[in-house]
Amino acid sequence: MNILFMMDKRANAGSIQAVACYIRAGDEFSHNIALYGRPDPKYPGIRWSTELGAFDRVVLIVEEHINWLSGLPLIRLLSEVPRERRAILDTDGMYNPVLTVDMYDRNHADENGRACWVGRCAALADKILQPTLEPLEAEALPVPFYGYDPSLRVAPGARGKRFDIMHVGHNWWRWREVSSCLLPAIESIRPKLDGICFVGLWWDMVPGWVRDQNLELAIDLDSEQFRRLKIEVQQAVRFTEVVPVMSEGRVNIMTQRPLFRRLKLLTAKYFEIFCADTIPLVMLDPVHAESIYGPLGRELALHGNIAHRLLDAIESPTKYHEHVEKVRCHLATHHSYRNRVQELVRVLND
Amino acid sequence: MKILFVSRLERWVRAVRTITKYVELGQQLGHEVAVFGEPRDDLPSVPHSRDVKAFDFAVFVVYETADFPDLPHLAHLLDRIPKERRIIIDCTGVYNKTIAVEHDRNHWVKLNGHQDWEWIEGFAAVASRILQPTLTPLRDDVTSFLFFGYDPTAVVRPYRSPQEAAKAWCENGGKPYDVLYVGHNWQRWTQLKRFFEAIEPRRNRFGTIQLRGWAWDHRPDWAAANGIDGLDVDLALLERLGVKTDGPAMFDEVIGLQSLARFCPVFHRPLFNELGLVTNRTFETFCSDTIPLLMLPDQIVEKIHGSAALRLIPGEDLVARLDDIMHRPEFYWDAVLKTRAHLAAHHSYERRFEEMTAILDG
Repeated sequence: MNILFMMDKRANAGSIQAVACYIRAGDEFSHNIALYGRPDPKYPGIRWSTELGAFDRVVLIVEEHINWLSGLPLIRLLSEVPRERRAILDTDGMYNPVLTVDMYDRNHADENGRACWVGRCAALADKILQPTLEPLEAEALPVPFYGYDPSLRVAPGARGKRFDIMHVGHNWWRWREVSSCLLPAIESIRPKLDGICFVGLWWDMVPGWVRDQNLELAIDLDSEQFRRLKIEVQQAVRFTEVVPVMSEGRVNIMTQRPLFRRLKLLTAKYFEIFCADTIPLVMLDPVHAESIYGPLGRELALHGNIAHRLLDAIESPTKYHEHVEKVRCHLATHHSYRNRVQELVRVLND
Repeated sequence: MKILFVSRLERWVRAVRTITKYVELGQQLGHEVAVFGEPRDDLPSVPHSRDVKAFDFAVFVVYETADFPDLPHLAHLLDRIPKERRIIIDCTGVYNKTIAVEHDRNHWVKLNGHQDWEWIEGFAAVASRILQPTLTPLRDDVTSFLFFGYDPTAVVRPYRSPQEAAKAWCENGGKPYDVLYVGHNWQRWTQLKRFFEAIEPRRNRFGTIQLRGWAWDHRPDWAAANGIDGLDVDLALLERLGVKTDGPAMFDEVIGLQSLARFCPVFHRPLFNELGLVTNRTFETFCSDTIPLLMLPDQIVEKIHGSAALRLIPGEDLVARLDDIMHRPEFYWDAVLKTRAHLAAHHSYERRFEEMTAILDG
């Protein structure tokens, strides 16, 4: 099957890593998979095409907004690709009812926003895919979508360890959990830790447009707390650098925005972190961690006594490395992009 | 025939006058003509509709991508009217490879991110036929259709003779402006600058001069930020000449406004001169009670306006020509009236409508 992805591409965010993995895995099955657009050196490993008519299916990867799909690409999509050959991957759970988690994170500001989003998507395609095993809406088709690509792995010792703890991800609906759970835990053991680094957007400062767009909750920050805890901040890196950068930390922590946790939405980070030469600790419910990572997922879940587990991983790495290795085997068996490609093709063919 | 126009109508720019004229005329001729969208309070006489299936044809009038509706409406439109019943009128020549003329060009990648291939493939995907308002399209797959037209019923003062016109024109007190240009500051400054520099040495010969349009009093920040030339303005020059500036005029005020001036220059963007593209103003200025100064290439004037209109091209010595017009206005009003007759015979909206329906009928 020939599959063309269309997306609001960003080199340091979103699903671009997954697209690169689909392209590689698709080649193994002789599926021609590409991303809409013209070659761009900022995106190595991407196969590009603008020949909409040359593909059997077009999958629109839609995050919070869909207004990137406008103008001439939209015109061509609607004109050249029949509706039944289009599908939408709803990565952010926007197709669900209006949800607010803990009076904090939400998919839509209000019913009107949802109606607008759904109206636009319904005009584009009948088939809505969500990267979760348990969609709330019956109309949404569960497709894990994101997966594990062993070819991204960084060999043990290939990158020097600069930090004890790293967190690679943007400051986007994460501050409440980071400030209320993670940082207090780190503070309690800070003298026993070496370097700590947060990599991503907006950990250095809150951008000025946040207030204009009423996003103060989504991007919040206490720089003084970071200074006190001697947390280093680095700018976001390109998708090709995510795994190598993670490999500079002995331990990497994955946080996920509350809405995604509630909806059990998978992201690229679930799997990238296991490609890195590090000990991944995931701030997920242990049952959910087990459902993705296998039985040892529970051992890598940061839940409950976070400080104890962090310190344990730093002080007893061998045990954790063994867990991680077994999880990698589980991921290679159950969550490889070879599996993902076949699952996607199956859903698109149905 | 049931025709649905698809375009973004704004009361002070682009083809709003022309589209409203097609709607009005279509109704008079027994057709059903509407504009895609919800009814608008500011255009009460223009029927709007989203009932796509009620129409036989969709006519997209495109200057920029915003002329296409957004989701979900575009999907409904394209799903419900098949390609063979859609045409595009490409008003700015984007359905060509990239062409740059002076500061002007047909593809503004810095502004909208779209390169030439996207326009070409996009248009080809949407419509079975692409029309351009030029007599000389560059591409074989483009049909020449001038689209814009002349409306004799809109002429403010339909003089019976050049003598009558010249007499009225010379009467004192009737014209608050000597020179008035109505149009936006977009790829016209180079020509306007030459115009003003030509008359500057004889400034005392002219009364009030005014520019009416968008951004004549400043160079927009985004133009500077994007390095876009062609919408410059030299405020010192305007001040030396005593040129007044004011904001855009609404489309239904333009003819009356231009009638307040003795002279109204007609400029086309450099790109349009290169491609032979005409605009609403190509024809509309002849409805006003003014002497149009055709600052256009001779061959365009001769082919569109007719040979009499060649007298209205000032040529190299603008001041001398203006002096001559003031000395013998009958001679030039004769050219204006003959041109009006030519436009009425060859470029009326009735004729355009017939041409368009013939194209739609295939």
